[in-house]
Parts: sequence; C-alpha cells; structure tokens
Amino acid sequence: MIDMIEKEENIISEEEAAQYDRQIRLWGLDAQKRLRGSRVLLVGLRGLGAEVAKNLILAGVKGLTLLDHEQVTEESRRAQFLIPVDANGQNHAQASLERAQFLNPMVEVKADTDQVESKSDDFFLQFDAVCLTGCSKDLMMHVDQLCASKNIKVFCGDVFGYHGYMFSDLGQEHHYVEEKPKIVKPSEETNDGPEVKKPKIDPNETTMVKRTASFCSLKEALEIDWTSEEVKGRLKRTPSDYFLLQVLLKFRTDKGRNPDPASYAEDSQLLLQIRDDVLEALGVNADLLPDSFVSYCFSEMAPVCAVVGGVLGQEIVKALSQRDAPHRNFFFFDGLKGSGVVDYFCAK
Amino acid sequence: MVQLVGPLSKELADSVSSCKILVVGAGGIGCELLKNLVLTGFKNIEVIDLDTIDVSNLNRQFLFQKKHVGKSKAQVAKESVLRFCPSANITAYHDSIMNPDYNVEFFRSFQLVMNALDNRAARNHVNRMCLAADIPLIESGTAGYLGQVTVIKKGVTECYECQPKPTQKTFPGCTIRNTPSEPIHCIVWAKYLFNQLFGEEDADQEVSPDTADPEAAWNPEDTAARATASDQDGDIKRVSTKDWARSTGYDPVKLFNKVSSGFILCLFKDDIMYLLTMDKLWKKRKAPVPLDWAEMLQLGEDPGCGTGLKDQQVLNVGGYSRLFQHSVETLRSQLADKGDGAELVWDKDDPPAMDFVTAAANLRMHIFSMNMKSRFDVKSMAGNIIPAIATTNAVIAGLIVLEALKVLNSDIQQCRTIFLNKQPNPRKKLLVPCALDRPNPNCYVCASKPEVTVKLNVHKTIVQALQDKILKEKFGMVAPDVQIEDGKGTILISSEEGETEANNGKMLSDFGIRNGSRLQADDFLQDYTLLVNVLHSEELPKDVEFEVVGDAPDKAPPSKAPEEEKSITNGNKDSAQPSTSSKAVVEEDDLLIVDSDEEPSSSTADVSTETSSLKRKHQDAETGEAASKRKRLDQQSADDDDDIIALD
Repeated sequence: MIDMIEKEENIISEEEAAQYDRQIRLWGLDAQKRLRGSRVLLVGLRGLGAEVAKNLILAGVKGLTLLDHEQVTEESRRAQFLIPVDANGQNHAQASLERAQFLNPMVEVKADTDQVESKSDDFFLQFDAVCLTGCSKDLMMHVDQLCASKNIKVFCGDVFGYHGYMFSDLGQEHHYVEEKPKIVKPSEETNDGPEVKKPKIDPNETTMVKRTASFCSLKEALEIDWTSEEVKGRLKRTPSDYFLLQVLLKFRTDKGRNPDPASYAEDSQLLLQIRDDVLEALGVNADLLPDSFVSYCFSEMAPVCAVVGGVLGQEIVKALSQRDAPHRNFFFFDGLKGSGVVDYFCAK
Repeated sequence: MVQLVGPLSKELADSVSSCKILVVGAGGIGCELLKNLVLTGFKNIEVIDLDTIDVSNLNRQFLFQKKHVGKSKAQVAKESVLRFCPSANITAYHDSIMNPDYNVEFFRSFQLVMNALDNRAARNHVNRMCLAADIPLIESGTAGYLGQVTVIKKGVTECYECQPKPTQKTFPGCTIRNTPSEPIHCIVWAKYLFNQLFGEEDADQEVSPDTADPEAAWNPEDTAARATASDQDGDIKRVSTKDWARSTGYDPVKLFNKVSSGFILCLFKDDIMYLLTMDKLWKKRKAPVPLDWAEMLQLGEDPGCGTGLKDQQVLNVGGYSRLFQHSVETLRSQLADKGDGAELVWDKDDPPAMDFVTAAANLRMHIFSMNMKSRFDVKSMAGNIIPAIATTNAVIAGLIVLEALKVLNSDIQQCRTIFLNKQPNPRKKLLVPCALDRPNPNCYVCASKPEVTVKLNVHKTIVQALQDKILKEKFGMVAPDVQIEDGKGTILISSEEGETEANNGKMLSDFGIRNGSRLQADDFLQDYTLLVNVLHSEELPKDVEFEVVGDAPDKAPPSKAPEEEKSITNGNKDSAQPSTSSKAVVEEDDLLIVDSDEEPSSSTADVSTETSSLKRKHQDAETGEAASKRKRLDQQSADDDDDIIALD
C-alpha cells in the first residue's frame, strides 16, 4: 500500500510548499510526498486520540478517518480540545470532526461512528496505517494480526493518568531510509570549497542509507513467559510500566472501561487485586508494581496525552514516510519521573 | 482517602485553578503549551508575543488557520483557546516582553512564568526579571526532532545565564571578503552586499577585498597591477545605490543599467582580479575565477526538473546572473519608491531580497569553485531557518506542564531538566531526565555581586560600543546605566534618552578609563548590577573588539560523530525582533542546548529517591572534564545548516 504513491500527488502545490516548508526542511520532499499519499485510521477520540489526530493532520496525510462509537461525557472530554463545549451526548468522532478539519483543509478528515468490532476485515484494507486507542487487548491483538499480514502499519496507545505507552507493529520487513553524513574521499573532485586536502566528513553532503527493521505482533509482545530463565534475567532492566500496562488492560477487559475518578475507592481496590492476579499469572513478583501506582493512573492527563501523542504521531509519520529508524516496539512514558523509554518485547 | 479531580489530587487541582501564570511566546511551543495548560485546569493565564502569524507557522502552530495570517499570535491564540475552554481567563499582549511596562511588579503578580521563546535576548531578559521577582521560571526550546525543558528558581537552581552559552558564530572579515571556502561565507557576503546597496550601511559589513588581510602581505611592486584592477580613482570602495540615485539625476532607471553593469563588473570581475594580485592567499588555495559577465548573460539555462519544489532547483551560472540583474532592478525601484533617505531591510520572505542573496551568493560560490546551492538551501542558511514540526513541540509543551505541576506542588526537588532525543540512548531513554544544577557562584547574573573582567583597548573602544556590543549584546542588558568607579561616580552612559548621547562617539580613554578601571553597569528594569573590570590590551586579534575573561573562546567546535550532534543552540537570534517584523534577520524557534550527556551513573531508579536532586554538575560525557567547562555549551552541530551565524 505504502509503496504506491498516487500519480496525481507527485507535484507539490505552492500552497503545500509554503505551509509544509518547515517540515520539508526537516524530513525532505520525498517523505512529505509519501505522507500526502497515505490514509490513516484513528480509533478512539479521547485525549490521546485528539493529540494524534492533530499531529497527523498537521503533518499532511492524505486522509484521516476518526472512528469512535461512544458519546461525549464530562470525563471523556477532559483532555480533548477538538470537541466543542456544548457537545455532551454527541458522538466523539462527529463532535471532533469540524475542528480537526480546520487544522488543515488539505487533509480529508472523516468521522465514523461505528464500533471497531463491527467492522469487516475489508474495512481496514483501505488504510496504510491504523492507530488504536482506548481499545481492549483482544481487539488490538485481532486488528494487529489482520493488518500486519496486509502490510498495514499498526499502532496502539493509551494514557492512564500520569502514565502512557505506545506500541507499534510495522511488519516483518519494514523498509526505511536514514540520512547519514557523506564521507568525502580526497581523490573525488572536491567542489564544495577550494581547500580540501584530506578525507573528511563533509557536513554539507549527506547520503541516504537503506535499512530494514522487523517487528513482532502485539500478541507476541504481551504474552511473554517471565518464568523462563532467559527472560528472568531481563526483569531487572524492564520498565515497570510494561506490567502496569498489563494490569490496566486487564481492568479494561474486566470492567469494559478505564478506572474512573467517580468510583475511585472501588476501582483502586480492584486495581490492586488485578495487579496481584496479573503479575502472578505472568510469573513475576507483585512488588514490581508498588501500591502507590493506583493514585496516578486515573483519567487522562492532558500533558501526558501531549507527550505520548507526540511520540506516537511522529512514529506514524516515520512509518508512512519510511524515513528514520522507528522506535521498536514500545515507548513508555512516566509523567511523574519525566522518563520516556523505548524497549522491545517479544515472546520469541 | 485520596480525592481526585480527574487525574489530579484535589489539593493540586485547586492550586492549578487558582494560580496566575505567564506564558512568554505564542508560537510553536506556545500554542501547544496554552492548550495543555487549559486542559489541565489552569484558569488564569497571560500570554505575550510580539509576532504576527505567517503561513509557514501553520504546520505546527495549530491554534492558527490560514485566515489568521498577518494577525497577532497572542490575540488569535487566546481566541482559539477560548473556543474549547470558554471559562479560561486569558489576557493576551501583542507586545515585546522587553518593554519596560513589564517590570518586576508585573512579574511578581504571577506564581509561575513559562518561556516559549525563540531568541536569546528575550530569554536572558526574562531570566533576570524572574530572578528579580523571585518567581520560578520554566525554560524550554526545540529544534527539529530535539527539545529540552528545565526549571529555574532563584537561589535553588542554575539560572539561564549561569553557564555561558556560545554566541553566534561569526566569520572573520577576510574570510568573507577575500577567501571564502564554504557556501555560508558567500551567503554572508551577499547579505552584506544587500545592505551596502539598499540598506543600512555598516562598517562591519564591507564587501570589497580586504587589503589589510594579514595573510596577503603583498609586495609594493604589485601596486601597479592592483591599480589597473581597481576602479578609476584607485579606491576599492564602491559607490552605494543611494549615491547612484543622487548622481544619476532624473532618470535613475534608464541610467541604472549602465551604472549597475559597471558595478556588477566590479563585484564579480574587477574585485576578483584584485584578489588575484594578492597571490599569497592563493598559494594553498584554489584561486577564484572572475566572471565574464556578458558571456554569463548569454548562457542558456538548464531545463528544470518537474517533480521537485521549484525552489530546490539549482540553476546554472547564467540563470543566477540573470536573477541577479533582475532582482537588483526590482530592489532598486523598491528603494526609489520609498523616497529620499530610504533604506530596505533584508527579509528572507521578501522575494526579490531573497532572489538577490541567492543570486549573489551563488555567483560568488561559482567564482570560488564551490557547488552552487538552490534557493531553498540558501534561504535556510541566509534566514537561519530551523526546521520545525508539531510533534516535538507537543512533547516539550507536555513536559513543561508536568514540571509546572511539581513547582506548584512545592516539589522542586522532583523537578528535572529533560532532554528529548531523536533516538533512544544506549540505556533506551528517549526522554532523559537530569537533576537540576545548583547556581553557579560566579554567575555574572545571579551571583550576589556579579562581576566580570572585559579585555579591550581603551583607546579604540567607543562608549557606544560598550553600550551596544558589550552591555546589551553580550551581557543582555536592555537599558544600561553606567558609572565609572573613579571616586566621582562619573556617569558614562544614561538609559535616559539623550542624556549621554554626546559621550557615544568618544573613546573610553577620554574619560580616564584605563587598565584596572571599574565600571558599574545597572539595568534598573532587570534589577541587575554588573561590575565590569577593564583589562586594557593592545593585542586583541583582528576583528575582535573585546573578550570576556574566563569565557571559552568562540571557535568552531571540533567535528564530532553524528550521534553526538545533539546540540541545539540557544538561538540563532541574538536580538528579539520577531520573524515577521521588517527588521527580522533570523528566525524560527529557538532552542536550548541539548546535552548528549546522559544522566549520571545513579540511574532513573535513583532519581526519584535522591534526597537532594540538586547535584554537582555531572561529568562531561566526551572529555570527562568537570562540567564548568562542559562541552555541551560549546557544542554546535557540525552541519552547516545548523551553525549559528551572525548574519545581522
């Protein structure tokens, strides 16, 4: 899908050149053209979804479909800046559409109010990349499996209070280029200056190097047996956020929603219980995740949505433009510590 | 039992909604920051920005749409934010933060100040105002994929000026005028030429060959050869366009061609021939080749290629010759239209001005055997454009708010400097938090009695230079008052307009200032007093007017491996002019120095348990030297496009 740049998109208009100038100067014209030919599906329009939507629309993708079947509530629009104030009760995607479109009229923004689960497999094939937020673990694994086999790039992400993560599956063979400084040999005709005597890294000239990266599925990333000897050794250097994610996904599966500040007492208790169960099932010690975690994983913190949405948005841009090394395969952000870590998890 | 208001504890949520904060800048970081602030629950926000909206802002400054181009950033930002948060109480100022209206009392009315700036002068100024008012300041910057956030609190952390930042890179006059070796030298030359012809003439921006080049040291016998290469009166100086207007009488346009082609001949042929007579310069360098102008104009152009940006095409020398001629004509009439005594100010967004520099620089590159550059690339270098995207600003603005929450929670021990990298470091960190440093006891801004020693020649430094180049440009004062500590308290410079104007052209020595003299410089707005010790020297290098004793020398840095090139400068702007003002010389989002240093060996696990997060400066990753000489301050990307260049 991504290898095909639609013919009519080959010329950049003056309007686009002027608007995208500062980013073309960063990632180059080719990358911008690939973005312009890409269609993305974004599931979930809460705080994180709004950030990702903004970032992709500003970047100049061809089309962005906003998919969300739920209604706007006081809580769901806490960190959401696309939904107008009087939109309680409206569908998230519909309510976000107008402001999203205003961000960049050159992008085709659409709203879809269906449930993801109700979509046929074919539905996903029209996209070059799919980004899932606020989805259950099972749904994410299912969509990931479906899309990765069709060379559709898959991204997942969520924000829980001060914590957030993103996951990517760019397939078994993701091709991209990296810009490296060119090394100038003395025998070559040196015409970027009259005074060159020895080989040097010419800061003015760069060259594109082709690379390939391989990614595993979400299922393989989440279903690791931590009791095996090789894996146990890694435990010390594994961010606890990985386990926090497992706990929160389990909560979501069990309760059909995220922890809610309105039922803080009840939900905190449940979270602690789930923590014990999940960690035990994974074969790791419960004190990997001390009790204090419960006070910091409720609701969506706007600044955390901004950080995670920024990293996630940029990863989608990188994957679509096939430029620069992708983060592989998780990014965890801890808003209390200000730490952002990239780590690779795979059962194989 | 913990009570939550959304994700925050009730206590913190109450602090957030009641406090009053100031956001300085409504551009790339500013837009993202305002959004994060209101969504987090901040209610009382004042935002200030002197700039107006440009179409190139729209790829990231998402509070603005095409219809807003030309309007005030602060004003439109406020309006856009109110749309999704009508209950927010926002005051917008379309003004410069350096305006004396924003005095210490103004700053004291806030609990927190957050910078979202793009130039060093304003950052220095806000730093001082926040020190004077004793209000915490959150400083930040971005460039491309990189970014940084830090917290400044008087007496507790380093201030913005505790560590000297590298000043903009400048090139020696003889490199620009005689021996350019890189495209940037030619571009600087072209900008000087613009000013010589159409703008404010500056003695420091000569374009003719530098006969005083120490490298040249020619023989007297060559005088004859030089005389034929120079113009009729044996003088290398050119007549300015303004003088043409006077000399050509009533029909400047008609006579223009005659006069201008003579001028062009001088620039690209005669002057080059003159340079060739300075043969010592060319013993180890490739000699320049003068242009045959008539031939150049006849040269056909290469057919362009269709799919790239028009601006990214590189023309041939014939194309640039014609572009030069055409842009000179256009600029000439622009100047004529403005009337007597008018001047043009170079602006990268003014097409003929940009065409002029593109053409002139390329012709010079061609003469000096360099590969010519596209208009796109020349614009980057000439306009000091820093590439910018939405996501980097989004991440940094998120981090700013998280730090703000810690400050409001009286948790400064938890505050960090956080660096955003392009790729994770060997310890897998994409975001690297580092503990804050304690203030530098010798800081020339926040120390209790700041003092510096400046090396200069008292017989050659005029009072105006002391005021503008030393106190304002170097030491960040906005309106200095200077007294000589001579027992009489002689006033050398008064910030009141007109009071000491008569002193401006006089030498420091005229006032009895000599080696060992002490000057007390005050900026009352910034509540800042600096004692300047004068160290007289007659041996300063050429083109260097003064040196601050103790500063690292302003040299180009050693080249380094790409993965260490994480340096972002504190700005390619020394002045505070907005990108869209007519005085703009440079532009774009400024950034703090990004350190490639990692956290110290006490890893993240320790960061949260440190009893004092305020540590001694940690080791420099590259040299292991103590941080007072930390490399990061001298770090500049080896990439030409990112170099800091003084192009004003």
